[in-house]
Amino acid sequence: MAANNTDRGTSSFDFDPGPVPAPSRPVDRFGFVKQDQSGSPDELAKCKSVAEQERDGRRIRKWRKMIGVDGSDWKHYVRRKPQVVKRRIRMGIPDCLRGLVWQLISGSRDLLLMNPGVYEQLVIYETSASEMDIIRDISRTFPSHIFFQQRHGLGQRSLYNVLKAYSVYDRDVGYVQGMGFVAGLLLLYMSEEDAFWLVVALLKGAVHAPMEGLYQVGLPLVQQYLFQFEHLVKEYMPQLGEHFSEEMINPSMYGSQWFITVFSYSFPFPLVLRIWDIFLYEGIKIVFQVGLALMRCCHDDLVKLPFEKLVPALRNFPKDTLNPNMLLPLAFSFKVSKHLDELQHEYEKRNKDPIHHEGSTSKSVDHKLLDKSVMKTQSHDIEKPTFTQEKKDQG
Amino acid sequence: MATAGNSNINAKLVLLGDMGAGKSSLVLRFVKGQFLEFQESTIGAAFFSQTLALSDATVKLEIWDTAGQERYHSLAPMYYRGASAAIIAYDITNTESFERAKKWVDELQKQGNPNMVTALAGNKADLEENRKVAAEEAKAYAEVNGLFFMETSAKTAVNVNDIFYEIARRLPRAQPAQNPGGMILTNTPSEIAQSSNCCS
Ligand SMILES: Nc1nc2c(ncn2[C@@H]2O[C@H](COP(=O)(O)OP(=O)(O)O)[C@@H](O)[C@H]2O)c(=O)[nH]1
Ligand SMILES: [Mg+2]
Repeated sequence: MAANNTDRGTSSFDFDPGPVPAPSRPVDRFGFVKQDQSGSPDELAKCKSVAEQERDGRRIRKWRKMIGVDGSDWKHYVRRKPQVVKRRIRMGIPDCLRGLVWQLISGSRDLLLMNPGVYEQLVIYETSASEMDIIRDISRTFPSHIFFQQRHGLGQRSLYNVLKAYSVYDRDVGYVQGMGFVAGLLLLYMSEEDAFWLVVALLKGAVHAPMEGLYQVGLPLVQQYLFQFEHLVKEYMPQLGEHFSEEMINPSMYGSQWFITVFSYSFPFPLVLRIWDIFLYEGIKIVFQVGLALMRCCHDDLVKLPFEKLVPALRNFPKDTLNPNMLLPLAFSFKVSKHLDELQHEYEKRNKDPIHHEGSTSKSVDHKLLDKSVMKTQSHDIEKPTFTQEKKDQG
Repeated sequence: MATAGNSNINAKLVLLGDMGAGKSSLVLRFVKGQFLEFQESTIGAAFFSQTLALSDATVKLEIWDTAGQERYHSLAPMYYRGASAAIIAYDITNTESFERAKKWVDELQKQGNPNMVTALAGNKADLEENRKVAAEEAKAYAEVNGLFFMETSAKTAVNVNDIFYEIARRLPRAQPAQNPGGMILTNTPSEIAQSSNCCS
C-alpha cells in the first residue's frame, strides 16, 4: 500500500512497502480515512476473486518485463513498441510499480541521476520567501490522508521539503496553492527527492510542454487552458456551450482546479491515479478529455440547470460518472490534439502581449537540455539551477 | 446585483482575504454549522448557496469563496464583479493578513460595484492570546471606509451567522427597477432573525 511507504530511499524495483501499521481509523486502500462506514458489504464485494488475482499477477509480470531491472529496459521497450506501452498505460499501471513507472515516463529519473546532491542542497542550505505560505498549507493538503495527518509527521515533513525545494529552485514561481496536491500525490508513490524531480520535469517540460505557466504570475497557462476548454465544449457540445453562455458560466468556475492540480484535488483517488498514469505519458490533453467526458456524461441534466444549480453540479459530478473504467474510454473518444493546437494559436493571437506568454506556452524543452552538463549545477552555486536559466545562457 | 421580486432577494456574495484567514471556515460554519481544524486549502474558488429568512424578506445568497493567495489575484475579478456583497476576512493573529484585507478594500472601491455591502471580518477571535491586530484599529479603519466590522470565530461560531445576516439586512430591498427615487430600507434591530450568536 503506497500510503505506508516508509522506504524513503530511491525507489527500488522490488519496492517493498514494509510492515503496514494498523491504522486507528478505517482507511481505504489508498490510505484516505473513510468518510462513511456504511460501505462494508460493498467492501466485501470488492474482495478480489482468485481469477482476478491471477490476472493481476500476469499483468504485473508483463510490466516487470517491460521495465527491466530498475527501469533498465524501459527506454528500449518504449522505442520499439510505443503503441503497446500507450495501451497498457491507458489500462492502468499496476499500483506496486506506479512510482517507478511515473519517474520513467516523466523523464524525472534522468533529471535525478544527472543532479546528484542538488535536492539536498535546496532543502538544507537555502531559504525561501514562500516558507510561511507553505507551512500554512501543509496541514491543509490531503487532510484526510493518514500519511499527511500527523502534525510534523513524515508526510508533512516531506511535503514541506519538496515544496520548499521547488520554491528555491524556481524563485519566480515560488510556492503556489495547488502545488501541494501535486507534490502530495507524488509522495504517496515515491521518495521526496524523486517527487521533487518529477515536479521539475513537469513544470520545466522534460518530456511534454512545460507547465510552469500554471503557477506563474497571472496564471497564464491556466487562462490559456480555460480558453481552450471553453471552446472545446462549444465545439463538441454546442447546446451545452450555449447554455453556459446564457447562464454566464465562466470555465474558471469549475475548471481552474482541474488544470492547476491536474485533477488531484477533490476527485476520487482511483480516478486520479488513472488520469495521472495517462497524463504523465501523453500530456495535458487528458485533462481536457476527461473534462469533456464529464460534461458529456451529465449533458442532459446540465443543459436544464439554472446557474445556482449548475455550478454545484459542475463541481460535484455524480459518483457513478467518476468510475475510471467508464469515464476514461469516453475521454479517449474525444480526439482533441489538433483542436488544442489550433486553439492555442488562436489564444496567442488574441493575447499578443509577450509578457503573458514567455515560457508558458513554448514548446517542450529541447532534449539536449537534459544533457548532464546543462542540468547539473555546481554544488556551490545553486541559486537558479533551472532550465530557463540555462536556455537563456545558451541563446 | 441583488434582484428582488416582492420580498425575495437573490444576491451574490464574495469572500476575499489572505490565504489562511479563515474564509472557507466562515462559509462552512455558516452553511453547514461545522468547523474543521484542518480545512482543505481552496484551489480556484468554491461555491455555496444559502437562504436566509428575515422579517421583511427572504434572501438567497450565492456565495463565492475564493483562493486567497496573491498569485490567484487574476481570477478574483470574475467573482467580485457583479457581486452585491463582500466579506473581507483577515486573521486577528496576523498583521499581514490585515494589510492584505486593506488592499482588497481598495480594490473593491476602485473596481467593484459601488453599492456593494462590504463587511470586514476579523476572524479567529478565539485566539485572543495571540492577537496582533487591535479591534479598535480595525473598527476605526472600517468606519473611515464605510464598511461594517465584526470580529468572528469560525471555530466557536461567534458572530458568524451575525455577519451574514447583517449583510442580508443591508442589501437593497425590493424596488421597482426604474424608480430613481427608490429608497433603500434601513434595517432595524427588531429585524434580527432567529440567529443566536450575538452576544460577544
Ligand atoms: N482558531 C481558529 N482557527 C480558525 C478559524 N477559522 C479558520 N481557522 C483555521 O485556519 C486555517 C485556515 O482556514 P481556512 O478557512 O481554510 O482559510 P482560507 O484560506 O481563508 O479559506 C484552518 O486550519 C482553519 O481550521 C477560527 O475562527 N479560529
Ligand atoms: Mg479557503
